[in-house]
Amino acid sequence: MEGYRREAVWDPVTRLWHWALAASVIAGWSLGEFRTFSVMQWHIYLGYLTGCLLIFRYMWGFVGPAPIRHRTLFASLRGLPDYLRQVGRRRPSGTPGHNPLGALSVIAMLLALTAQALTGLFSEDDGLFFSGPLASEVSSDTVLLMTGYHNLFAKVVLALVALHVAAILFYLVWKRENLVLPMLNGRKWVRRNGGDHSST
Amino acid sequence: MHSASRWLFVLLGLSLAFGASAADDPNEKAIKARRAAMTLQSWYVGPLFQMAKGAMEYDADAARTYAANFDAVVKIDAAAMWPAGSGNDAYEGKTRALPELWSTWPEAGEKAQALIEASSQLAAAAGDGLDALRSKIGAVGNACKGCHDDFRADKM
Repeated sequence: MEGYRREAVWDPVTRLWHWALAASVIAGWSLGEFRTFSVMQWHIYLGYLTGCLLIFRYMWGFVGPAPIRHRTLFASLRGLPDYLRQVGRRRPSGTPGHNPLGALSVIAMLLALTAQALTGLFSEDDGLFFSGPLASEVSSDTVLLMTGYHNLFAKVVLALVALHVAAILFYLVWKRENLVLPMLNGRKWVRRNGGDHSST
Repeated sequence: MHSASRWLFVLLGLSLAFGASAADDPNEKAIKARRAAMTLQSWYVGPLFQMAKGAMEYDADAARTYAANFDAVVKIDAAAMWPAGSGNDAYEGKTRALPELWSTWPEAGEKAQALIEASSQLAAAAGDGLDALRSKIGAVGNACKGCHDDFRADKM
């Protein structure tokens, strides 16, 4: 592609982490939404796994390679207004990492999943008689409140995942940019000048 | 029926009788009664769930007693505790029962029937070992959840 170069952007750890998170969230969400007595313990285990993956991601954002760093994410986010003005152009964004819209999506996803993991610790299902490990440490009013938030954020997570998949299809079909392949082999087409409104 | 549970019903009846003088609204009385019944159900079945999950040591006699009492509470005639118009649309802050419980009737009644069925099987099996308890308790949990999902609000 004219003006683009294929570069190693996503490191192996980040790629492995991404698919582990995807599997953990899809399985955990499904077992929560369609929970029965016999699968509820697995929903809780997957909640722990997701929580551990999130903790890793927050640390990885400080010590990992440049494209995955929190600093890069926020720098990319600053280009959002400019990026939105020309997001409809039919060419790959070519950002050496998350483009501004992707950065926003990552932050939203991390925050929503963190909220899910935290509220889950204090939630209960008093029909199935399962509760998070810290539910017994707080008042029943708090448990009720946290359970309500846990149910609410489940819908938010579903919406964000749907948006994530829709965006990938939009980039694939409209912008002719395959974003799935780089998350598998790590190599992404990057614009020579750093991509659409990249601040790097 | 065990004498302990008989006394419990007497106490429950007495407490309801005294509660009656406090609240004049018959719907509010019904709400109090059904919440008390739910509390009792949870009280008896809770330890059985703890045993099934390994959080409490299995004890055949205790399990049998808990299950028998749970079964008794589940089978009380509770129809009058659910008068039409006593949902959380009219009694906000007092009940979590959704108006759908009445508007989609008899769905809630069928779910209550499913709980009675599951509870009967639990009562028959609870004293026959941990595996027997485990094989029957899941259906009870799913029955409780099934009704909560459709007919109970997330918050008061």
